[in-house]
Amino acid sequence: MNDSQQSLPVLSARGLHREFLLANGQPLEVLRGVDLDIHEAEMVAIVGLSGVGKSTLLHCLGLLDTPSSGQIIYRDDEQVFQSPGLSEAQRCALRNRFIGFVFQFFHLLNDLDVLENVMLPAIVGSSKSQWRKTRHDVEAYARSLLESVGLQGREHQAPGTLSGGERQRVAIARALINRPLLLLCDEPTGNLDSHTSNKLHTLLRELHEQLGTSILVVTHDPDLADRADRRLAMIDGRFEAELNPLG
Amino acid sequence: MQYQSFLSKRYLKRRWAPWAATLAVALGVFSLLSVLAVMEGFKVEMKERIRGSLSHLVVEGIATRQLVGEDSLLDAARTTPGVEAASPFIETLAIYRSAVLDYCILRGVDPSSEAEVSDFDLYLLSEEEIEQLLADPYMMLPEDRAPPDAARVVEVFSLERRRQLLRSRLRGDDVGFVEEAPPQGLVVGIESLRSGRLAIGDTVQLSSYSPVTFEPRIGKFIIVGAFQSGVYEQDQRWAYSDIRALQQVLDLWDEDAQDMGISGIALRLTDYSQAEEVKQRLYLEISRRMDLPASDEGSIPWRSMEINTWESQRDNLLQAVEIEKRIIAAMMLLIVAFAAAMIFLILMLLVIEKSRDLGVLRALGATRGGVIQLVLTQGMILCISGAVLGLIGGWILTENINEAHDAIYRATGMRLFPPDIYYLERIPAVLRWQDMVLVCAPTLIFGFLGSLFPALWAGRRDPIRALHHE
Repeated sequence: MNDSQQSLPVLSARGLHREFLLANGQPLEVLRGVDLDIHEAEMVAIVGLSGVGKSTLLHCLGLLDTPSSGQIIYRDDEQVFQSPGLSEAQRCALRNRFIGFVFQFFHLLNDLDVLENVMLPAIVGSSKSQWRKTRHDVEAYARSLLESVGLQGREHQAPGTLSGGERQRVAIARALINRPLLLLCDEPTGNLDSHTSNKLHTLLRELHEQLGTSILVVTHDPDLADRADRRLAMIDGRFEAELNPLG
Repeated sequence: MQYQSFLSKRYLKRRWAPWAATLAVALGVFSLLSVLAVMEGFKVEMKERIRGSLSHLVVEGIATRQLVGEDSLLDAARTTPGVEAASPFIETLAIYRSAVLDYCILRGVDPSSEAEVSDFDLYLLSEEEIEQLLADPYMMLPEDRAPPDAARVVEVFSLERRRQLLRSRLRGDDVGFVEEAPPQGLVVGIESLRSGRLAIGDTVQLSSYSPVTFEPRIGKFIIVGAFQSGVYEQDQRWAYSDIRALQQVLDLWDEDAQDMGISGIALRLTDYSQAEEVKQRLYLEISRRMDLPASDEGSIPWRSMEINTWESQRDNLLQAVEIEKRIIAAMMLLIVAFAAAMIFLILMLLVIEKSRDLGVLRALGATRGGVIQLVLTQGMILCISGAVLGLIGGWILTENINEAHDAIYRATGMRLFPPDIYYLERIPAVLRWQDMVLVCAPTLIFGFLGSLFPALWAGRRDPIRALHHE
């Protein structure tokens, strides 16, 4: 933990602001100067009430939304990417390779089976010739990820036949298929019962330790937040305080 | 593997509704192609029949001043490279009285050389054929009838034939003719016999005007034979007689040139594709001869003249058929446009249904262009499948159109293509690659345009809003 914090963070955000225009023309400031560093193999939880800007922050960090001002830096072993200043193609490539998303509502594609859902980011990120070369490896890795999340033997099942917890496990495997450096989880257990949530928290933590992926999780769930290395409380669009890790 | 084709296949495999658009495209292409094939076949057939009754090239004087110097004209034509045969003709309008008053386009031809420049010998019917055709009003001559014989043209106008007909007709009654000097022969179109206005052996009085003296002229003719060209108008209105007889009847003696006048000379070329070049050469040769002094053996007395191909003579009719084909094609394209509108609607519904999936794809790294391509791919799969199905269907129908027509006739007793209207026993259908391109190119363009808007709309959708849509 300390070692990782000494190295440069995989993600640094400085002075992030995000404003929306309301119907009456008045600006609504959702993010008010957020600074954030996430280091390699670190799990950070953001907690806060509804509407304080947690999801907006996650969308900005995940390059789905563009902040009104501020800077975000993404670092991997070889390159540094700085937003703003990224082209549409670079943003898409970062979303595909650098970042993995886990959504509250799983968002699996019903027309694909479980295995295909897991492989989807790799399919999206490959050209025809690349896919021909890597397909075998990707499929093997997808199977091993499904095994890690406890879904071996369910590869060809339709997502609609799975329970909520199982679907979220598939979504986690999908988020990890391209070996991203950063996993962004938006209320991953917000749609699950407490028992299933608990099992999923354990799984997330295990995967985190096993794969060394940095995780930023936005949650209402105190149990999940407690399992993070750091907990950040968000109030009115900025981090109010850093709470003690692990309770 | 490009995710666009992967996902498109998945989306289309599990839904039947989008294939309704494919069916609509297929039907549009199928109908358009079939109609174009039949119209093209009709055009080719009609052109062939008109061409058969006309010659490749015609040298004509003006209506009020006939050409003279027939021998020199024929000589000039026959010595021009590219000309295979030449024959003189006269063309005039005449009225005759049978049960009612009627008119005909009277053509005077040289029986010994007419068959060399037109298909008159082919169209001339034998007595048995005339009987068969009169017995069945829809009958057309079979393709495998005996090969044409130019001698029959000479024979049909011969004195012997006229005498024989008159003899059997008179049956001893004296109606003002003597068998030894029968009237001149007239070969009429089969439709004028079918309508009952005329019959073989009838004597008719034709009235016309002399283009030289402008005096009314009357001649008696005996119907010696009939022809079927396959063009209804010609088979109803045209009549052929011997050019020499007609020259006498119309009093075409030209005092200035001291020669009989002719309307023009008809030519057959060795290669019709060279018509323009031959036309130029012939024009120069005839002009040259017209400039020679009258004492010169090869000279031709000067008259205004023009040289036309058979196509330019029937330009209006051929243009009308071509324009009709284009208008029908343009109207039928509306079916394809309707099919493209179906693609548009189906894709719009698919984009709405799949908006969450599209948002997920964007979050997983798909570019805006990639999403546009995904929707376009689906639209084009639907459109191209429809076009291919339509092409295959159109091809099958074109190949078997008469069998299909016969089957409908047997099943319903209804003739969709009545021979008495279209004057064709079999439905002609010619599928040209140009028509396939003419059908497929707009189909693909319409399909592309129909897919483009839903695709752009999908590309513009905000992924965050799509992801919140649950």
